[in-house]
Amino acid sequence: MQSWNGYLQEEIERMASRNAVVIFSKNTCCMCHAIKRLLCGMGVNPTVYELDDHNPTWQHALFSLLGSSSSSALPVVFIGGKLVGSMDSIMAAHINGTLVPLLKEAGALWL
Amino acid sequence: MASQGIGGTGLTDSGPSSHSHHNHNMPYAVYRGINPASTSFINQESSGFDFGELEEAFVLQGFKISNDEAKASLYAAAAATGKPAATLEMFPSWPMRFQQTPREKSKSREESTDSGSLSSRVQPHLEPESPISRKASSDHQQNTQEQQQQLQNMASNNPRTGGLQTELAASKSNSEKKKGAASTSERVLDPKTLRRLAQNREAAKKSRIRKKAYVQQLETSRMRLSQLEQELQRASSQGIFLGGGTTAGSNISSGAAIFDMEYSRWLDDDQRHMSELRTALQAHLSDGDLRLIVDGYIAHYDEIFCLKGVAAKSDVFHLITGMWTTPAERCFLWMGGFRPSELIKMLIGQLDPLTEQQVVGIYSLQQSSQQAEDALSQGLEQLQQSLIDTIATASLHDGMHHMALALGKLSNLEGFVRQADNLRQQTLHQLHRILTVRQAARCFLVIGEYYGRLRALSSLWLSRPRETLIADDNSCQ
Repeated sequence: MQSWNGYLQEEIERMASRNAVVIFSKNTCCMCHAIKRLLCGMGVNPTVYELDDHNPTWQHALFSLLGSSSSSALPVVFIGGKLVGSMDSIMAAHINGTLVPLLKEAGALWL
Repeated sequence: MASQGIGGTGLTDSGPSSHSHHNHNMPYAVYRGINPASTSFINQESSGFDFGELEEAFVLQGFKISNDEAKASLYAAAAATGKPAATLEMFPSWPMRFQQTPREKSKSREESTDSGSLSSRVQPHLEPESPISRKASSDHQQNTQEQQQQLQNMASNNPRTGGLQTELAASKSNSEKKKGAASTSERVLDPKTLRRLAQNREAAKKSRIRKKAYVQQLETSRMRLSQLEQELQRASSQGIFLGGGTTAGSNISSGAAIFDMEYSRWLDDDQRHMSELRTALQAHLSDGDLRLIVDGYIAHYDEIFCLKGVAAKSDVFHLITGMWTTPAERCFLWMGGFRPSELIKMLIGQLDPLTEQQVVGIYSLQQSSQQAEDALSQGLEQLQQSLIDTIATASLHDGMHHMALALGKLSNLEGFVRQADNLRQQTLHQLHRILTVRQAARCFLVIGEYYGRLRALSSLWLSRPRETLIADDNSCQ
């Protein structure tokens, strides 16, 4: 189990580095819907992986990546291959003005 | 409007009647701080007055008065107009005007059954005065004072209306306070005046005693309240649900009751912080000192967001329906609190002068806040839609399953309220970052005062006069 989790974590990181903005979501999750609306509204075209309700191992792996300090809830966002966090982290970054530069740096936004 | 005083020597003046009628067509109204000129239209009759017009005046001008007081004062007027004391029958019954402060109003309610004594509030503000006062300031004011004196006298001779003297005396003292009590220098100290002065002193003493008793009562209530709070804390930690609980007999969960208590304490703290900010700004403290105070205010806000987080876990509906706020705030509620972009919009005009960089920062903050709000709102909408679908498709067979599903979806509400509060908190912190210490101090003062006014608006609205104010004894309010 431990090694499988470890493998999943690596796989997640691999998936996250393939695109500028990667969102791990669930299609029944409304907060995931909110974060998609936020990023799309800003002009970002995120890559979204919808996790399976019936197979929670991916979620476990994700949350262990997040660490105990973050809330163990979807969505989880990677920008430029780096873990940013969940909705609260994204919103905090947007409000304090660091989100847009981060997106530009990752090539997700052009202006 | 009335022009001259009541004849030459006040009470002993004989023959004021027809002369006075024309001079004292003053409206009889209970109100607070009203412009005298605006009420003159109310009553032009000399004998008695028209309740209908008075009522209209109340409604039109939207005064804050309570039903009881209005009636009491009107009855007083009626008594005054209908049954003058024997010694004063030389005076016609004109309508009179007086004013009351809110403090006096509440006190007068208290003292309504005390007959035979003049209202306390006349003291210590009252300077001994006679109806003869010839103060050069507005004659109109003179009239008021003199009329009130006479009215009081008449009332004091009329035990039945004794309780209503409080209204009159209160207004009298109020008008005196406001306009500067008449000086005693040109007084003719006739026996009636002396007796009145003595009565005033009596009343003052009685009022001081009553006030003391009232304060005692408040103190004990306060202790009782904190005891109750402690019990409540204990009970809630044991997970007891309060039935028929703390708000108007409605069922309120213990989590909600606790939050309401903590919120009201937070509001008191808010007042304290604001006056600290105000004095600090006026005293032109150094930036370092001011920074401490501003940081303290930010921490104060962090505290309420933390409390809301706890409350969201136990009773998210209480937060999201705004039952913890006043009606006016509730009207503008967004996801369990204020809307950050609206707050910034309100602030923009009041933060001048700003550097160009600051202006850019603030507008950018407004925009990102707006985007975040929209995203959260859309997320919440999707949650509602999903809930509706779940409940709608619940059939006879798998109804329980759907209800369980719906419950699960409902639990996501907490997340949205938390994120909304998070957004609010981040917005305040960012404002703090963009502004200088002094600007931030002013900014938070503006915010505090704004919400204070919004809350006050709710109270005013709730106690506004209604149409059935006057004639209807059964009017509910």
